[in-house]
Amino acid sequence: MPTALPHYAFTRGAIAVIPLSLACAPWGLLAGSMAIDAQFTPLQAQGLSAIVFAGAAQLVAIGMVKSGASLISIVLTTLLLTSQHLLYGMHMRPTLSALNTRWRMSLGFLLTDEFFALVNHYDRETFNRWYALGVGLTFYIIWNLFTLAGIVLGKSIPGLDQLGLEFSIAATFIALITPVVRDVPTVVCVAVSLLCSVWLSYLHWESAVVVSGVLGMSAGFACKRLGVGQR
Amino acid sequence: MIYLMIVAMGLVVFFNRYVFLEPRLPVRLNRGAREFLGFAVPGMLTAICGPIIFLADHQLNLSPTNPYLLAAICAVALMFWTRSVLITVLSSMALFYLFRWWL
Repeated sequence: MPTALPHYAFTRGAIAVIPLSLACAPWGLLAGSMAIDAQFTPLQAQGLSAIVFAGAAQLVAIGMVKSGASLISIVLTTLLLTSQHLLYGMHMRPTLSALNTRWRMSLGFLLTDEFFALVNHYDRETFNRWYALGVGLTFYIIWNLFTLAGIVLGKSIPGLDQLGLEFSIAATFIALITPVVRDVPTVVCVAVSLLCSVWLSYLHWESAVVVSGVLGMSAGFACKRLGVGQR
Repeated sequence: MIYLMIVAMGLVVFFNRYVFLEPRLPVRLNRGAREFLGFAVPGMLTAICGPIIFLADHQLNLSPTNPYLLAAICAVALMFWTRSVLITVLSSMALFYLFRWWL
């Protein structure tokens, strides 16, 4: 594959990422329409998808803006919410850090959960930068097109937020969480995080998501360190 | 204010994605930090799902006939059996609307 023609490898990557892009359609629509609903201008709403390009962080940030959270707490939440990318970066370091600056920064910007899911298993010999660019850039374009559709729909259909579309966020996250839950510490992490998030949100804590997430992660980490559930 | 937030978020996300791709960076996360970050996906994503499922429209709903809860349980089962994100999201969305209309 490293010797494959650039446009052929690019097309292969673009085709590979299409199913994952479509699964994110409801989020893209929501990221656009929720931003409009939270009094963002269309340019700001599109800018969020074009510059930040991180679905979960965008939706949470929009929700936090709506509830009047401070800039510091939004940025801190974003930092924690996207911290799994540190692990993706570490994992991709042997292949991506060897590229020149332009390629490294471009592919780094495009390093999403979906990109990682499709590109992580290539090593230095089998990795093709054009394939990776096909995956990342196609996902970026489709994400931004769905955001644009959400901005247009959000303005013309009042009550888009009443359709229960936010369930698609829960459904997609459940689909991402379920395969990861394979040991006792992770079950503890999910249980603590779930209980705390419902409880703290019910008490109207503005930082409910960060605090519950960190409590869940700490509980899981503590269980792992104590050897809970290990034979 | 919003533009400042967008740029700040963009920088933070790019930092997380890029920092370990930088060849001049000599440090590595130690084992403890990596183990802790390994819980980021289940921990953070669950914390976002919780309020969506149990606090729809800011009302606490612990009833077993809560359509969000029923559809969420179906989504876990669907993902467990099919291992497909697309099938799970589409089917559980359909079930969610069915439950909402039915219950």
